[in-house]
Amino acid sequence: MIPVQVQPTKDTGVLLEHLFRHQSGRVVAHLARVLGPARLDLAEESMQYAMLRALQVWPNQGVPENAAGWLFRVAHNAAIDAIRRGRFLEQNTPALVAELTRSNFIISGEPDFEEQLRDDELRMIFMCCHPQIARDSRVALSLKTVGGFSVREIASAFLADEAAIAQRLVRAKRQIRERHLTLDMPHGADLEPRLDSALETIYFIFNEGYATHEGEDLIRQDLCFEALRLGRLLAASSIATPRVHALVAVMALQAARLPARIDQAGDLILLEDQNRARWDQGLIAMGFHYLDLSVSGNQVSDYHVQAAIAAVHARAERLALVDWPVILDLYDQLLAISGDSPVVALNRAVAVAKVHGPAEALAAIERLCENPQLHEYYLLLAVRGHLLLELDRREEAAACLREALACRCSEPERRFLRRKLVQCDQPKLVFDK
Amino acid sequence: MPQFMLALYDDPSRWPKLSPEEMQKAIEKYTAWSKKPFVVQGKRLALDAGRVLKTSNGKPRATDGPYSETKEVLGGIYLIEAANYDEAVERTLDHPHLSHGTIELRQLFM
Repeated sequence: MIPVQVQPTKDTGVLLEHLFRHQSGRVVAHLARVLGPARLDLAEESMQYAMLRALQVWPNQGVPENAAGWLFRVAHNAAIDAIRRGRFLEQNTPALVAELTRSNFIISGEPDFEEQLRDDELRMIFMCCHPQIARDSRVALSLKTVGGFSVREIASAFLADEAAIAQRLVRAKRQIRERHLTLDMPHGADLEPRLDSALETIYFIFNEGYATHEGEDLIRQDLCFEALRLGRLLAASSIATPRVHALVAVMALQAARLPARIDQAGDLILLEDQNRARWDQGLIAMGFHYLDLSVSGNQVSDYHVQAAIAAVHARAERLALVDWPVILDLYDQLLAISGDSPVVALNRAVAVAKVHGPAEALAAIERLCENPQLHEYYLLLAVRGHLLLELDRREEAAACLREALACRCSEPERRFLRRKLVQCDQPKLVFDK
Repeated sequence: MPQFMLALYDDPSRWPKLSPEEMQKAIEKYTAWSKKPFVVQGKRLALDAGRVLKTSNGKPRATDGPYSETKEVLGGIYLIEAANYDEAVERTLDHPHLSHGTIELRQLFM
């Protein structure tokens, strides 16, 4: 066992933001690669032990100079201890201890080692997002194992029961063992479906974080930024395709709007009413950087088109400067790629209204309204109500919004619908031009 | 300046349930508090029952620590400086431990 040295730091003991969360993902990924994916639990327990030690020791003895390295070493030692104590009566115990000891001697922070850790993390992402694991479980496992989120945090972000999330994790780990999933990097014909599955999982996490729900806003934003981090990890690897870059561009450009999306009362601000000066310029720059990277090759994926749409908005400093015909054109493409997805069709209708007026937009979603599966979809009713109101068909608009209120939606969305409903009773404002 | 002992009690089964992010936040808060100018020192106690020493039949003996009925156990101590109890209390009111645990405050004879 390597002695753990505590060197009190001279600074104020302030740690890097999300250090524990991110280091947890890296250490678990590294330990799991050495120990084997079937021992993911031991990897997680070892890291948990290291963080608990830090919790006991650091407040009084000071935060060590290399806090990340400290956690890495203590977790390693815990894993070595567990193996030596014979938790696994296997023949390869000495080899495992030797391998763990070897990696523990490497100074973290060394470029080669950092590279190795990134590689471990990447392998872990691919395993957690394996298509043979159910999507719900994939999402929970990625957040827990790679993202360093707790079951309670995941449950609160998804407005789900803690027991349900714990169940998904148990199921995912069982599938890893039973299906002998490995931490090998996917390659050959396997690469594309595995990459698709990872991108789908990452974008799902992003959208969950981006969706508007009551409360726990911080944890939901964390989901967006974790998805962005995972996307960038994939984008920085040698297997990145233009589609990966496009996804990162979508997420960065959309995340840029987060600061402007909710008002002080916690109410939803629609894209067209947002104060664009509050959009995060750093994220917009990042989005354009990845958008540039995504145009290599001739593949145009759904992510490419979504990124292009977000980019048109990001370029327009004011709403009046938004190039709606270009957006409508992009939505036409997206609609074709998505195989007539109702959600895309709805978003397209907003662009139709801007270019051709509310009457045409209403006609464009008429077909959706006939789809019985969408009868209880609040967003369709909300958009329809909005368009009817624009056309001054107030009674129909009010009926539509009332129907929307009866559907499943979040509190901020409900408050938004009620505000719209009030507008139906108010005299229309006439502006002199 | 008179010194006071802070005895920090809490439920240790609570800690493993914290997420990495929450653990980091807790460390940052406790560390920041420990750096306050009036803190003389702070120590964390090992998470075991310890030993109890007692004389029975004229012979001192050590036994394993007391089995605690309550969930809260003594987990750490601090020494702080303050003019009197009022100031000691005042200085302790913002201790992060109070979000979940109990602090017992006792003056030391110097």
